[in-house]
Amino acid sequence: MGAKNKKASADAVYAKKTVKSANPFDNTAAQSSKRGQNPFDVHVNKEKFKILGRICKHDRGMPGVSRAKALQKRAQTLGQQFAVKNKTNRFKDNRIGKHLSGDQLTESVMNARYLAEKMSQVRQSQKAETFNLNDDELLTHRGQTLEEIEQYRDERSDDEELDDEGLDADFTSAAHFGGDGDTVQDRQTAIEEMIAEQKRRKNEIVKEKDEVYELTEKLDANYKLLLPLVAKATKDEQDAKPPPDAYDRLLKEMIFEPRGSVTDKLINPDELAKQEAARLEKLEAERLRRMRADGEEEEEASINQPKHRSADDLDDGYGYLAGGDDEGDDTLAYDLDGNLGTHLNGKKNIAAEQENDEENGEEESDGEEEEDSDDGSDSDVDNLSDLKESDSESEAEVESTLQSSKKKPQREKPSVSMDTSIPFTIKMPKTYEDFTALLSKHAVPQQATIVERIIKCNHPKLEGVNRENVVKLYSFLLQYLKDLFEDASDQDIRGHFQLLSQLMPHLYDLTQLNPERMSNTLLEVIKEKYGEFRKNHKTYPSLDTLVYFKLVANLYSTSDFRHPVVTPCFIFMQHILSRARVRTRQEISMGLFLVSVVLEFVSQSKRLLPAVFNFLQGILHMSIPKRDVQQLEITAPFERDGPLSKLLTLPANSKECKDLESQPLQSVDLVTQTITPDFKVRALDATLLLIKEALQLVEEHVGACYLAKPFLRLLVRLPLDSYPEHVQLHHKEATQLAEKLAKQKMKRLAPAERKPKALRLLEPRFEAVYDDKRRPKMSKAKEERAKLLHKIKREKKGAIREIRRDTAFVQELKLKQTLQSDKERHEKVKRIYQEASVQQGELNELARSKKKKKF
Amino acid sequence: MKRPAARKPEDHEEEPLAKKQLQTKANSLLNAKDVDTKALKTFVHLLKDRPDHVQPADVMNVLEVIFKNLLKRRALDGSEGKSLKIREFYEETWLLLRENLLTESTVALKVCFQLIRAEAKHSLAPRKGWPAYRIREILETLLGDKEETPANALTNYGKYCKNLDVLDITIKHLVDLVPAKDFKDAPIQAMNFLHLLNLVDLGKSVLNAAEYHVETIKLKTFNLEQCSKRLNDIWAAVMLKSSGVEERLHRQMLVVLLERIINHLEDPIQLTDFLMDSLHQFDGPIALLALQGLFTLMQKQNITYPDVYEKLYNMFYPRMFYNKYKARLFYLADIFLTSTHLPENLVAAFVKRLARLALQSPTEDAVIMIRFVCNLLLRHTGLQKLIRSSQTAAADEISDPYDEQESNPVKSQAINSSLWEITLLQKHAVPEVANAARFINASLPVMEHELGALLDRKECNIFDDELQSKAKQFALNYERPKSLALPKNEVVTKYWDLI
Repeated sequence: MGAKNKKASADAVYAKKTVKSANPFDNTAAQSSKRGQNPFDVHVNKEKFKILGRICKHDRGMPGVSRAKALQKRAQTLGQQFAVKNKTNRFKDNRIGKHLSGDQLTESVMNARYLAEKMSQVRQSQKAETFNLNDDELLTHRGQTLEEIEQYRDERSDDEELDDEGLDADFTSAAHFGGDGDTVQDRQTAIEEMIAEQKRRKNEIVKEKDEVYELTEKLDANYKLLLPLVAKATKDEQDAKPPPDAYDRLLKEMIFEPRGSVTDKLINPDELAKQEAARLEKLEAERLRRMRADGEEEEEASINQPKHRSADDLDDGYGYLAGGDDEGDDTLAYDLDGNLGTHLNGKKNIAAEQENDEENGEEESDGEEEEDSDDGSDSDVDNLSDLKESDSESEAEVESTLQSSKKKPQREKPSVSMDTSIPFTIKMPKTYEDFTALLSKHAVPQQATIVERIIKCNHPKLEGVNRENVVKLYSFLLQYLKDLFEDASDQDIRGHFQLLSQLMPHLYDLTQLNPERMSNTLLEVIKEKYGEFRKNHKTYPSLDTLVYFKLVANLYSTSDFRHPVVTPCFIFMQHILSRARVRTRQEISMGLFLVSVVLEFVSQSKRLLPAVFNFLQGILHMSIPKRDVQQLEITAPFERDGPLSKLLTLPANSKECKDLESQPLQSVDLVTQTITPDFKVRALDATLLLIKEALQLVEEHVGACYLAKPFLRLLVRLPLDSYPEHVQLHHKEATQLAEKLAKQKMKRLAPAERKPKALRLLEPRFEAVYDDKRRPKMSKAKEERAKLLHKIKREKKGAIREIRRDTAFVQELKLKQTLQSDKERHEKVKRIYQEASVQQGELNELARSKKKKKF
Repeated sequence: MKRPAARKPEDHEEEPLAKKQLQTKANSLLNAKDVDTKALKTFVHLLKDRPDHVQPADVMNVLEVIFKNLLKRRALDGSEGKSLKIREFYEETWLLLRENLLTESTVALKVCFQLIRAEAKHSLAPRKGWPAYRIREILETLLGDKEETPANALTNYGKYCKNLDVLDITIKHLVDLVPAKDFKDAPIQAMNFLHLLNLVDLGKSVLNAAEYHVETIKLKTFNLEQCSKRLNDIWAAVMLKSSGVEERLHRQMLVVLLERIINHLEDPIQLTDFLMDSLHQFDGPIALLALQGLFTLMQKQNITYPDVYEKLYNMFYPRMFYNKYKARLFYLADIFLTSTHLPENLVAAFVKRLARLALQSPTEDAVIMIRFVCNLLLRHTGLQKLIRSSQTAAADEISDPYDEQESNPVKSQAINSSLWEITLLQKHAVPEVANAARFINASLPVMEHELGALLDRKECNIFDDELQSKAKQFALNYERPKSLALPKNEVVTKYWDLI
């Protein structure tokens, strides 16, 4: 009795406790009860003090459940391992793509599997199958042969067979629950009735089925006859449809109304043009960015226009992030027709985009652009083409890229492209000799066509190998140009330049294919050329070097502040112009050629190369007759006096050159040595024009007067009387420009005005010391380390515990196994004893009966 | 005895047959108990007659081995017929070696000096110790060449001249060997002599290294004082003969004087006239060298030279970039303008001139001059008004008051000008120059730029540096050229009729 009392009071206390700790309004309790937890499973850890703000995870737990979970997990992992321990016959999946699943298991993988399977079969039974003409291969689906599947496919619909075999409701209600009571029959008859009823129904059903089957057969036969009629009838019906009324129309409209916006719409030409303009604008913006030196833009920006400042700006040195990449409003840009214009709006987006694209590099974005436009043209043709996923598409795409990129030149010279004497597919020549042999057979325009076709046939998008091929082609072309120009004579030089001119677009295309490789090839060539030039820098390099410079001008963005190809070229050209001696017609023309290439290089960036100005002065100096003792100062490589300083002077008072036509410099000048009077006039004329051009480029710079002044001194000394009129005109223009620049007034240099900087307002720094834990203060690194060490310790503990439990689990398994085997053994032993005793009994019996007989 | 013989064939197994044969013959000659004079004679004659199939260098090498061994055995000493005969051959070999000195200078000189070393160790009968007379023979040969300067032989001799004993003896003999004629009458001989004199290096590195060609002899008592005294004598003799020499010789004299002599002269003041004359009569490199000499005198002897800055200023003109000694000029100018006590208008003129020249100069010089200008602005803080004028002064536009033609730097009005040239240089096409010129935009650097490293740079170094720069983004033209002409801004086809 006392014990019972005790237990009751303990229960009460426990109940009180749980109530106390669990808030009656607490949701968790309700939830847990909802989940159907057994309250006896929950174990509550007592909490001595409630600490505000501390999240306690361990206040309640379910030891039984978690233990069961752990056990299950172990059984699944360790138990499995234990079960297969020391067993060798495991199942291994060696199929192709065994790690793939779901969508990854594509057609190709399945095909590969099938092929591999078949191959192994063939390999196994090759001997046996050698003379087997029948294809014994059986195709299976889920382990069944296809034939089997077809055999068992039931063509009937099977919904009729859903009849239940059970007893019908009337009968059961009557039989089980006694019914109304007015039909009193004995049990035997009732059952017999029931059986009879069942049989009748079955018969009926069978009959019905047969009928239905027959009818369907008949219908099928009829249907086949009717088929051709049906097709006709439907067509007629469509024609004969009554005109739709308003409701129908509305319905149709609603059905076919677009339910979402199209992601890739058809692009009309206007939009295409707009896209193109945007692309060009973006590229131009990028070019301008590259043109400036690293720090330059910031300086300019800070000088010209203040950055955006918010009203709350305290001028405390914290920058406003977004303001940095606003471009000036007067950026150069292209209008829709591709002409250079100014003041286009809507550049902010581009500036933002530009930031994103900076990492991607220009080439990539180029490629994307191209592809985008390709997609556009694709959808022009057929907007469903995106849906088809076939290999042919990519090819078609390549074709279309080629088409789109080649469109312009083809339009220009259709006669060339249509040339049928050249095969349409040309393989990439293996060696340079093959290449030259291929080209040398044809005239200049055909050569360009050949190159174009080689590029087409070896486009890297067609095949991976072509990546190497195009690089090779590029180096062949460079070598070919070198061979052509290195020893060009005055007869064929013009032809060579024509070829170069026609090759230029193809070289451009090639460079676009793989800018890095191609550029490195070109750079190697230039390096080699510079190596040769360096050995003897007093003589001009051969003509091919100059041609490479021109190539660089055409292919690369020469306006960059620093460019891996262009900058070395600048240095190279400066070196040539400032060191190489000028003695012959060829050298004068080469120098002038270089000067014009340099001007082309800087035409957009408006940078200056001193050697250009020196060289132009030198040529002017050469044209001035020097009778008096006084020397005109001129820099090397030109000579102050002597015959070389008067190379271009016309004989005094001669009238022979007076009537010469205006003529630009000729390509022949680049290969001829002797100086003729008409060349003298031509060279001077070109020099005057180039002076004007060069001065125009630097016109806007502060200090342009320093560049213009030296020209004035020389220009006044030119004996104009003996020159034709156009030279005089150009002289006048150049002089005017130089005079204008020389009178330039400049503001003194002064640092840009800067606002005095306000003192930085410092945020108060609070030290977070509100816990009273007595532990030494540590540095950040040390604290981090201590934390990590603590973590390691805990993890280690946990791991040890886990391992211990694993061991226990395994021991238990082992014990079970032993017990089981012991049990089996005991049973066997028992059985043996039993059998033995039976046997013994029989023997005894036998012995006894024998004894009995004896007696 | 066997050692050299055994070593030789091992080292050069692939050598041509003729050489091998020679070596085996030499071996047999040396291995024989008695020296076969006939065989020796054939060797010597091989050198003399120069048959086609034998290289003289090989013969000389073989002869070196033979005579070194013979000297060791003292086969040349003694009065009996055989040793006399060998002695005769030895002297003949020396004659032949001297003949070869100018053509096969490397091998011949090596052989000579090896033999000298052997002879010093095992001296021949009448003479004792260092065979100084041999050096004299060599020197005479080097000097005697009439046609041209034996550059190779001289550089090779220069290597041996690093040894103090050789140096000592060379100086001793050079005193006597000063050409007898005036320099202008025998320019080539004079030139050779000057070149030889240029090899005499009494610099610290040589003295500290203290290497001797013949280690064993106790001639290690190298007397620096005596040597410099002799140098004084030599230079006095040179000065006597040097009136009215041509430009090249004059330049060489100045180079030798500056590099080798001037630090050891007892009374360098005497040079003042010579240097002054050089400075005033010539311009270009000679004037520059003379200026350097004067600078040394100013430093050490405290002489004053009134318008040295004007001279220096006028040495900066466009053609100077093509001088051989432009690095020296920059170096000198840097030193001359080191003082912070120079008047500002003078330094301003230098600054303006340098900036102006940078607009015309080759790339590497432009960089040097921009850095130099930056240094000058740092040294003379007052000059910073050239780039940082007051706001009121910056308001109105002016043309440059600096007068380029004025030869007197003080009167050139440079101080009233401003450094617009540097702003223009920021637009230079070569990024290195443009970047260097940007120093005026920000606050000036704290430290001066080190010019020394820049002075040795060539144009090709800039090219190489540019190739090595890391940024490898090959930006392309985005417009496809349809022909030779660019889509826009075409220049070449505008002025050329190429197609």
